[in-house]
Amino acid sequence: MSVPGAPTAKEKKYDRQLRLWGAGGQEALETAHILLVNATAAGTETLKNLVLPGAGRFTIIDDAVVTDEDLGTNFFLDDSSIGLSRAQKTCELLCELNPDVKGDYINDSIENVIKSTPEKLKEFTIVLATGDIVTSTLLSLDSILYPLDTPIFVLKCVGFAVTCRLALSEHTIVETHPASTVDLRLLNPFPELLALAEEKAGSMNDKSKMNTHDHGHIPYVLILLRALDDWKSTHDDNVPSNYSQKNQFKSFVRSKMWDADEENFEEAIAAVLPHFNSPSIPSGTKAVFEDEKTKSLTSSSTNFWIVARAIKDFAEKNNGLLPLPGALPDMKAESKDYIQLQNVYKSKARADLAAVVEIAKSLLSELGKPADSISEPEIETFCKHAGYIKLIRGRSLKQEYEDSPNAKKISNEISEPTSLIHYYLGLRAYESFISEESNTKRVAPGVEDSSVESDAEKMDKYVTEILDKLSITHSPELLEGTSKAIREIVRVGGGELHNISSLAGGIVSQEIIKVITKQYIPMSNTVVFDGISSRTEVYEL
Amino acid sequence: MATTTVLTTESPDRWKYLNNILTRSGPYTDEAFTPGDFPKQFLADAKILVIGAGGLGCEILKNLALSGFKDIHVIDMDTIDISNLNRQFLFREADVGKSKAEVAAAFVMKRVRGVKITPFNCAIQDKDDDYYRQFKIVVCGLDSVEARRWINATLVNLVDDETLIPLIDGGTEGFKGQARVMIPTISCCYECTLDMLTPRAAVPLCTLASIPRQPAHCIEWASVIQWPKEKGDLKLDTDDPEHISWLYTQALGRAKEFNIPGVTYAMTQGVVKNIIPAIASTNAIIAASCCNEALKLATTAAPYLDNYMMYTGDESIYTYTFQHEKKEECPVCGNLPQNLTVDPESTLEQLMEKLQERPETTLKKPSFRTSSKSLYLQAPKQLEEQTRPNLEKKCKELMEEGDELSISDPGMPFNLRFIISFS
Repeated sequence: MSVPGAPTAKEKKYDRQLRLWGAGGQEALETAHILLVNATAAGTETLKNLVLPGAGRFTIIDDAVVTDEDLGTNFFLDDSSIGLSRAQKTCELLCELNPDVKGDYINDSIENVIKSTPEKLKEFTIVLATGDIVTSTLLSLDSILYPLDTPIFVLKCVGFAVTCRLALSEHTIVETHPASTVDLRLLNPFPELLALAEEKAGSMNDKSKMNTHDHGHIPYVLILLRALDDWKSTHDDNVPSNYSQKNQFKSFVRSKMWDADEENFEEAIAAVLPHFNSPSIPSGTKAVFEDEKTKSLTSSSTNFWIVARAIKDFAEKNNGLLPLPGALPDMKAESKDYIQLQNVYKSKARADLAAVVEIAKSLLSELGKPADSISEPEIETFCKHAGYIKLIRGRSLKQEYEDSPNAKKISNEISEPTSLIHYYLGLRAYESFISEESNTKRVAPGVEDSSVESDAEKMDKYVTEILDKLSITHSPELLEGTSKAIREIVRVGGGELHNISSLAGGIVSQEIIKVITKQYIPMSNTVVFDGISSRTEVYEL
Repeated sequence: MATTTVLTTESPDRWKYLNNILTRSGPYTDEAFTPGDFPKQFLADAKILVIGAGGLGCEILKNLALSGFKDIHVIDMDTIDISNLNRQFLFREADVGKSKAEVAAAFVMKRVRGVKITPFNCAIQDKDDDYYRQFKIVVCGLDSVEARRWINATLVNLVDDETLIPLIDGGTEGFKGQARVMIPTISCCYECTLDMLTPRAAVPLCTLASIPRQPAHCIEWASVIQWPKEKGDLKLDTDDPEHISWLYTQALGRAKEFNIPGVTYAMTQGVVKNIIPAIASTNAIIAASCCNEALKLATTAAPYLDNYMMYTGDESIYTYTFQHEKKEECPVCGNLPQNLTVDPESTLEQLMEKLQERPETTLKKPSFRTSSKSLYLQAPKQLEEQTRPNLEKKCKELMEEGDELSISDPGMPFNLRFIISFS
């Protein structure tokens, strides 16, 4: 098609997702290499949701042979797969979903890969471990991947219970996708904005100098700036600061209407509460500014930290104001007045950006890096989101299991009958069970009808061991919720239910996309889903 | 027959874990649950209907087949488009242009042994009450409010001593979605909750016509004003790339004239088609939640959702699970008329336009009656002509305070009832 701007074939195919994460997010996804450990139903469902939007590559490590039980839960296997390598067959059927994606498999156990070719694990952008994996293997994966900053997801799905743990050592997000980035600077206007207010709204109170049509089309931003000027002259030069003053100011603006149906004035009045805020640096941004990595840049600092530092320095020189994002909401106005106002904000945003670029260049030169090693569009995106950036410092599995378990959180939750911490403890006990009871052959709790109750009692014992290790005092009464969760887990006999695994695959693939694209905010750090009450809860463990 | 042999030789291990929850009670199962053959048989015999074979529908069909349902129907009137392939995983590039219902049904039947899926490439309105009465559960994966309202009202109207068909409904937008279970006349219905939808923020026509400020204003100008002006009776087809290109070029020209930056082809398409971002992950979450509820309803192996779950994934993970209340004045499942405040000086036509702004009163071709007279009827033609002059009349001439105003629409199997008061 000859129409300029018409979408390419790829843009057409991925249209519905590009509207969420844009070309930048898509590129990150397409260069990612995802490792799935064990092709369980939850694992293949997760990969399905990543192959479809075009994740670059995936590899499956699994030494299992396809059984009939797999066919009852896993959609990416069929009758002809029985008896063959599960890694190979699921890889083949997943690859059918999207010719843009490359799939590989290793028909071996993760334990063997860790033992014989641990360097193989360094190839992956992200690792998802599912199925029955013993604790020692999880901790080995953690000890290899966590120091490399490779995010690890550990997903457990047994019956109606799901937990997913994300071990992510450091994650920085610029594009958090806030609902709005508008900053109108009403309480600290810059000169160009004040000049425009004077030009367009200077005669706002004077019927001899302005006609009613023009009065009804003054952009509300300029109405507010002009009214603020009047207000300050009778309030010792102070702006309305508390709730009651702001309400008085709203009445003051209303008194300036010439006609009861002037929409622009109604818009002005509605904008007072949301936009009359004294400038302050939001907590997420402050956390980045105060981080050691911002304060002491080194030659190995990544772009995020260098730009964060440039913006921090900018704000310090600029009365604590972050660079202006430059966005302007729609408002009742004549086209040309609105565009003029929009350009005033945009010019200021461009000037702020130029100042930040200059600072970044000098920082780069101090660090001995080329001045152009960070592109202007990258700095621009950062400036637009400066008030909304986010730093997540996660915790390793070793911290959760051994070094510094969050005993306080668990102990606070444990007496709550409807808390989902019971499923967390139940699935930790499940992991202990398969770690301890399986010798040469996998043994899951509740496999045989006759062992359901005795296996549940063993699981009770594993929970008390975990709690003892955390020095959490417990009693049978206190553990009633956990005991029920354990019995629900044992009921299914150590297997997956397709719906629950598919749902879990949806949750985890959303999180993986957020981590890979570095857009939106991933959960930190454990999500529990209960398929019975249809609830999730996120715990930092 | 070979197929029969295959079915009977299916290994008992295949459904081992599903069977475990059907043959064993759990700590949360209802006392009435009888573990064993009864729930297994019910699941195998229950006819279940899936409406929509798109993003949610593909997932729902797969999930139901792997939940042990054996007799599934699916209705979808759409054909496969290239932009479906990023999430509708039962379709391939070679399927573009084919019926969604047919391709999806064939794929799942081929993959999952022993399941029968009957596809219908038609509109839900093409089927009658007897058709719908045969199902034990209906699961919806739709993107249309209108279709949801229609099936909801149809299922509520079917309720009698022998028929009570639960409606399970899913919906997604970006990283967010909701799943809900509606038991007609017992829990709230779809119509009860229409006011949760955000009202359409319509741009005033005068903004489009004379003072555009946003790229979207230029695009809407192109589709609402320029298209009918330049193209006459030719109907705008938002799936036709040539039509979109024409709008894009027009909007671009308009934007240039007013110095408005930001009109793109993708935005043009987004505005005129009202495109909602959609990804596989979110569809998977919501569809699986719906099917989990279908399995629980059919087997009572665990308590079902009562009645609403919202999922939000763009900032951490947050779910809100709650019981939405039934509305006494619901036009579909309630008994009482709603209150409506009317400006006595406004015309009937203005009242009609005002009602279109609220999702719970949006209708395509509404007819208005009070208990004593017909104010405006859309059909038949003769009556339409006879009542048309009333559109120009003021409300105070047509109705009195306390009158019951009844609004019907050929697309909806129910009437909206209002008690009038004047502002």
